[in-house]
Amino acid sequence: MTAPYIDKVDIEARKRALKVFREKFKVILDQIMRGENPTLVLPKRTLSNTIYDETRKLLLLGPEKLRRSFFDLHEAKKFMQTLLMARIIYEALERDEYPTIRDLYYRGKHTIVFYDERGKPHEENTWDEQRESDAVIRDIEVFTGLLREEMLILSKEKGKVVGNMRIRSGNDIIDLSKMGHGAYAIEPTPDLIEFIDVDAEFVLVVEKDAVFQQLHRIGFWRKYKAILITSAGQPDRATRRFVRRLNEELKLPVYILTDADPYGWYIYSVFKIGSITLSYESERLATPQARFLGVSMTDIFGYGNKKAYLTEAERKNFIIKAKEADIKRAYELMNYKWFQTPKWKTEINIFLKKKSKLEIEALAGKGLKFLAFKYIPEKIETGDWIE
Amino acid sequence: MSQRSMVALKETYRSMSPSQFFYEYKEIAGFSNPARSLYQTVRELVENALDATDVYGIKPDISIVIERIPGTNQYRITVEDNGIGINPDYVPNAFGQVLFSSKYKLRQSRGRFGLGVKMAVLYGQITTGKPVEVYTSPIGSKRVYYFKIKIDIEKNKPIILEKASWSKRGNWHGTRVTVTIVGDWSRARSRVHEYIRRTAIVAPYARITMIDPDGNIVYYPRIVDKVPRGPREVKPHPHGVDIELLKQLIKSSKARTLKEFLIEAFQSVGRKTAENFLKEAQLDPNIDPHTLTDEQLEYLARKLREYKRFRAPSADALSPLGPEIIEAGLKSILKPEFVVAVTRKPKAYEGHPFIVEVGIAYGGEIPALDEPLLLRYANKIPLLYDEKSDVAWKVVNPQNFDWKQYLVSFPAPIAVLTHICSTKVPYKGIGKESVADVPEIEHELRMALREAARKLRAYLLEKKREEEAKRRVITFLKYTPEVVKSLTTILKGDGVNEENIREMLIKVMRKRIKVDNELFEKLVKNLKVSIEE
Repeated sequence: MTAPYIDKVDIEARKRALKVFREKFKVILDQIMRGENPTLVLPKRTLSNTIYDETRKLLLLGPEKLRRSFFDLHEAKKFMQTLLMARIIYEALERDEYPTIRDLYYRGKHTIVFYDERGKPHEENTWDEQRESDAVIRDIEVFTGLLREEMLILSKEKGKVVGNMRIRSGNDIIDLSKMGHGAYAIEPTPDLIEFIDVDAEFVLVVEKDAVFQQLHRIGFWRKYKAILITSAGQPDRATRRFVRRLNEELKLPVYILTDADPYGWYIYSVFKIGSITLSYESERLATPQARFLGVSMTDIFGYGNKKAYLTEAERKNFIIKAKEADIKRAYELMNYKWFQTPKWKTEINIFLKKKSKLEIEALAGKGLKFLAFKYIPEKIETGDWIE
Repeated sequence: MSQRSMVALKETYRSMSPSQFFYEYKEIAGFSNPARSLYQTVRELVENALDATDVYGIKPDISIVIERIPGTNQYRITVEDNGIGINPDYVPNAFGQVLFSSKYKLRQSRGRFGLGVKMAVLYGQITTGKPVEVYTSPIGSKRVYYFKIKIDIEKNKPIILEKASWSKRGNWHGTRVTVTIVGDWSRARSRVHEYIRRTAIVAPYARITMIDPDGNIVYYPRIVDKVPRGPREVKPHPHGVDIELLKQLIKSSKARTLKEFLIEAFQSVGRKTAENFLKEAQLDPNIDPHTLTDEQLEYLARKLREYKRFRAPSADALSPLGPEIIEAGLKSILKPEFVVAVTRKPKAYEGHPFIVEVGIAYGGEIPALDEPLLLRYANKIPLLYDEKSDVAWKVVNPQNFDWKQYLVSFPAPIAVLTHICSTKVPYKGIGKESVADVPEIEHELRMALREAARKLRAYLLEKKREEEAKRRVITFLKYTPEVVKSLTTILKGDGVNEENIREMLIKVMRKRIKVDNELFEKLVKNLKVSIEE
């Protein structure tokens, strides 16, 4: 008979979270005992309260606070929802469970039946859509100061990693260089991963999963001592946190490779600065040192002394005409402070002038070897990236 | 003989103008077509019945029967009351001659000069050839009298077809009149029913029963025991005279001097006032009024109207309904959630005293409409036609009256009752369906409406406050179980349980909802919450 499986790292995390919950909600109980209106005080999660910290180069929550009181007609339901969600999460932590946000939605969704003075029943759901329960989860994150990962709430795994590196996840040691044709799926709780040993010089994050696979099979990471990662589109929280840890704890430079269009630029921006909707986690998820490797507009068209990587004929074949939405997005990005550096201005201006975009796959189309053994290493070597 | 019956027997009449004239111009009295004539006939008979009862302090018992004579478009309308009855000597003239009150004394009454009922008799006679039938027994009389009468149109004289009398067994007194006319029930139906309903609203002290040609029985029970004070007869006020009235007054006066005449014929004129007036008007006090020329009469009438120091006209001749009766009537028939009524102090226009009353009924079974439901009355008569040209509409119209200020925004379930009582209601036409916009009356209506609306506002404000408190209590109670459960789950071991957290929470809630304990208990009582997990 095997001994029951015990995940020590997990247990510690749970204990920590439970303690924070008790401390935070004791404050509410104390208010009630003093005869005060029970009130949750939490940072406002609004665009107006999202601040770009220039020195730390991060999107952070501002100082505005929201007071959510139970005995306030307009806040009562939200207050109830917040406490209900706190209870479900608390119970899941106690019971060693790993709920997803969808699970939490279902666990908390039930009907309150209210009978009026005539005995007529009125029904109301605690919440109707997952949008509501998701918002409450974010409120609990900011109220407790715990990220959902720290409360052992899972989400779908999306990011993948390979490289010359060994990690401990749960009770297992995993060698990220022995994943065959596959890759290690970055777990939703990357803080519980322990780095054991690493032999790498940089981290390359590729937006596209297909390009990641191509680079993996051609042996890119072995040849250049890289940790190769894909976010498979918009990065999830786990991938961002994992990249951040590689940069912060192992001091590895991080290069990001996306499509050459405003959406690719925004993916880079999320890795580097944080997202507007989740600005409260930037401090832990963002990688301010991340570098935009490409594909840049100057790679496509050349600029000043820089020679273009594509010939006139290749450009004709590979370039896609920018859509209305791309152009609109580019103008939006121009408003963000962190896109107002000279290099970014040049990028955006070329884009708006040429009204052209390009997918990374197009470079692989020019030849995978070109992408893996010329374009990427050359750009890193010559320092041809944008900070 | 009781005092009441004395009054009944003393009512005297004299001929006024040929019935021929009204025969030619029956439209102006409301007999323009069969439907309107049927409505008008019911109305005239019912108003006479009420005038014979409540004016003398009798609680009215009125029954109305409208029957269709099979196979014809003729209708028999019978109205019976328990009023003072009619002196049998006067019955032929009361129903068979177009008459005028013999005394130039004034008081508020529903019908004027008893003209209307004679129009109904006349109209019945010319459309069906059938006479009017009258049973009557005056108060104190031991007999019941019966008459069958037609009108000799050319001579303006009654023709008595039948006449009988017999001794009565019970205590019945009152009058029962039957008129047969050509009518159109299908088109008159809704108006007649509405007329009776509106009559019942301002006569909650009456018992009214109607049987209509469809066989429907409508019954309005008596719901208050108090009959409003009846009007007293008063002499005309000098501000209200014109040459014609002066001539008639002088003709029927035996006064030898102008001074004597003024004192005798008018109210508000004593010896001293008469002397002062004559001095200022530079008129000889000792002149015989019967010798005055037309020019002198014109001068006298004008001076009388202009003289500022007469006392205001007496309101003794008026009989307002009073707030209790209006409120009771509105409550019983419209079934609102709130009702209020206001009776203003007497005022005068052109020498005619008047009193304005306004009632407001709100909510309950009143439907929400885009404008106020207006119930107009003049001298206790409901006015059904020409609403939009009436001064009352001008006042309550949301375009002229700031209802929002009183927390009423349309569509709103609101009814406004207006009552103007006067010795002379300034109707716009002889059909007596709308009141002209006399500035004094308009002003009083507006003041009365504001006064009533302020009370409505106070009620709505209190109601809103209560509803707000209720909404809060419901919201908080609804979510309390979840909050209690959550705190208990997270903080168990800290010496808390659901019971004590709940108690503490309710205590805080009570403090936060700023209502008195009684209301709080009322709101919380019987509320229950359960959770289906």
